[in-house]
Amino acid sequence: MNKNLIKKLKEILPKKNQLLNSEAQCALFSYDAAFCKKCLPDIVVFPENKEQLKEVVHLMYENNVPIVTRGAGTNLSGGTVPLKGGCVLVTTKMNKIKEINSNDLYAVVEPGVITKTLADAAQKHDLFYPPDPGSMSISTLGGNVAENAGGLRGLKYGVTKDYVMGVKFLDSEGNEIIGGGKTVKLVTGFNLPGLMVGSEGLLGIIHEITLKLIPKPEYSRSMLVKYKSIQDACETVSHIIASKILPCTLELMDNFTIQAVEEYEKIGLPVDVDALLLIEVDGHKLVVEDEFNKIKDVCKKHRGDIFEAIDKQQKENIWTARRNALSCLARLKPTLILEDATVPRSKIPNLMEEIQSISKKYQITIGTFGHAGDGNLHPTILTDKRDNEEMLRVEKAIDEIFEKALMLGGTLSGEHGIGILKAKYLDKEIGRATLTYMQNLKKGIDSKNLLNPHKMGIM
Amino acid sequence: MNITLIDELKELEQLVIKCMKCGMCQAVCPLYKCNFFEGSVARGKISLIESLYYGNIKDAKNTLKILDYCIACGRCEKNCPSGVSTVEIFLRAKSILRKIQKLSMFQKSILKLLLLHPHLITKLSPILHFAFKIGTKEIQNDIYQVNFKLFGDRYTKSIKKTFFTESYGGINKAKNEKMAVIFYPGCAINMIFTDWGEKIIKLLNKLGVTVIVPDINYCCGIPAATMGNIDIMKKLLNQNYTFFKKHKVNYVITACPTCNYTLSDLNSVVGLTKPDVTFIDILIFLKEVLNIDINTQIQEKASLHVPCHYQSKDIPKMKKFVSNISKNFIELSNQDCCGFGGTFNLKNYHDSLSLSLKKVQEIKKKDINLLFTPCPGCVMNLTNAVMHEKLNCRVAHPIEILYEVIGENVSEDKTQKN
Repeated sequence: MNKNLIKKLKEILPKKNQLLNSEAQCALFSYDAAFCKKCLPDIVVFPENKEQLKEVVHLMYENNVPIVTRGAGTNLSGGTVPLKGGCVLVTTKMNKIKEINSNDLYAVVEPGVITKTLADAAQKHDLFYPPDPGSMSISTLGGNVAENAGGLRGLKYGVTKDYVMGVKFLDSEGNEIIGGGKTVKLVTGFNLPGLMVGSEGLLGIIHEITLKLIPKPEYSRSMLVKYKSIQDACETVSHIIASKILPCTLELMDNFTIQAVEEYEKIGLPVDVDALLLIEVDGHKLVVEDEFNKIKDVCKKHRGDIFEAIDKQQKENIWTARRNALSCLARLKPTLILEDATVPRSKIPNLMEEIQSISKKYQITIGTFGHAGDGNLHPTILTDKRDNEEMLRVEKAIDEIFEKALMLGGTLSGEHGIGILKAKYLDKEIGRATLTYMQNLKKGIDSKNLLNPHKMGIM
Repeated sequence: MNITLIDELKELEQLVIKCMKCGMCQAVCPLYKCNFFEGSVARGKISLIESLYYGNIKDAKNTLKILDYCIACGRCEKNCPSGVSTVEIFLRAKSILRKIQKLSMFQKSILKLLLLHPHLITKLSPILHFAFKIGTKEIQNDIYQVNFKLFGDRYTKSIKKTFFTESYGGINKAKNEKMAVIFYPGCAINMIFTDWGEKIIKLLNKLGVTVIVPDINYCCGIPAATMGNIDIMKKLLNQNYTFFKKHKVNYVITACPTCNYTLSDLNSVVGLTKPDVTFIDILIFLKEVLNIDINTQIQEKASLHVPCHYQSKDIPKMKKFVSNISKNFIELSNQDCCGFGGTFNLKNYHDSLSLSLKKVQEIKKKDINLLFTPCPGCVMNLTNAVMHEKLNCRVAHPIEILYEVIGENVSEDKTQKN
């Protein structure tokens, strides 16, 4: 990158460590949490406020430098890897919660605020910010919006998109764009917050988000249900939903995952069962008790063996098991590839069956757990990236998982995004015309193709 | 970077490959919480090592700098979902990269003198003590302010005129001996917190425990390893292990969690076999081996900072024991690292100070007068922070008070119960 440009950047970002450009420093921003190739940026910047952000974006526009916006780098589809080098713009130092309004039930935050920090702050006001992606203790809200992050509570409470009321962002030239606002109803112009949600950094750079908060549910109950057959567990999921009950979480773990968790956590999970369902119902006490009993009936009907958590510790154990599923699997083999194929919830039994047969067909280890209640499973492939022969089989298996998910009316990605990793499958799901439409949108907004270029298969 | 070094780094692959780059270390890294910089956390550091040996980057110099920017608190390792051995990876990688970025002659000779020739240092102790007195002024009882701002605006404890091993080296026999143990003082207790050593010996003697103290204190080696000289750590560990083996004891008692951690956990990093003894912190020894109860409680509003290197399995027991010392004990909600990190504090004083200042805000808010922490580094760093904030709070190792509360009341002999 030319010296003149670096000099100008330094004027905009005067503090130590706001601008990094040694090879090693740049290499720190060449990857994210996805199993994906690395690409080095030319420069990394940490603006601390909107003014600095604007000037940086404008300068990059004038000099035709691509910008990849990045929060904590927890992306699972390679969305923050700077494919074309250029500038990585890190938002972690724009991390102020500007307002929590308990009269109008919203929060205004900068993009670098950590998800859990907002959730905790809301709780202090007896309010609730439900989206809880697995990485919520480190992920940033800007990243959550740009990737439309999900989590365990999707079934009842929805995902990030259901909480975005307003987004203020910059276009590729650095102009300030205002989308949405602080009112529940708002129909002025296009639904720009909707456009920014899931835009993966291709359509603008977010500098302020207004998020909806809701009253905190007063009561909850949890249970763990054991199954001798994973198909019975999956059938239970479909039938709970069909009986018009929405638990706040409805999670599935297969036998392989259960064993991995028990080996490390030693919390007394039954390792001889084929599958577990972990269920939590929340809301008004009377309603919770009623729904809890109805769910128990459905579970029994499908040969489930119910264990009710009667105290805080037992409840805690159940959710520790689920939260640590991924990490316990990760300890088993050097390389872990986490997928998030998602299907309409009634198709969960079919997807599970397909995953099991794919695992057998390609002779690879797949542990499956996930948000069964919203149709979003996490087949987790355990392998060793140094084993080239096995990696070829892994690749084929992943292709086939996606193929089956699409055949079942599902989608490539429930919550991890398209980024680099899933770009090649995109036209299979949405078709050429849709891709072209997206491409035209991108061209119209970012004619120089500077904002996170070459992601989502958009050239 | 030459090929041999790349090959040496590549030997770390077996450890490095376990990192799935999830980034969860961000949630626990004390430095990341301050600067939000990927280079602070284990994922970043590991990724650089990997990039070097895969040939994606060649910048060994800045990689070492980034690896060096670490308190070595070990929180990333304790909380890593994938079980990555971050401490071993960093120490070994630094040692390899140090071969390119050599320490200055000055640093090297200081390191060698301090660590490999402790008898010389012991002889020099009056001079060191004198130099210390010239360079500082006493503000409170054994709290000195450093005159030269070159060393940062800091408050510190003094280097003592007579080192601990000079007074207590050898066998300190208990009158009615029930068992014998080794007490390993480590550098901080040997040179600065000599009173802790003294109290430990007197208390243990009273309780019927004979205490063997090395005549010369050899450092555990951790400072050498963090500075990238793992061979010196190996030599020192070996030296200490030889001493421990010579005396047939079951327990080697420590009062510095970092020494304890180095002696009991880091031998595998340098391929040494540990002697057949239990390395045990003095508090756990009192509580678990001697079954000591605290009968007389003090009144002061007290709290506890848990040192990062305290053995995880012992933390609940230690907490319970220490919280019992005072009738007015308050648990800290902020359980973060104090930011000391030994050599880290010397190299990055500003960052170290800002972490410790953050830490004492709760002390200030809750008006705590006595902050326990069973670690010389934490005591040093938090005393500095307390002085900067002008708080009326004494920072102390629990042994300082325990000596008073149990030392005078050792009536019942409880060792028989074991």
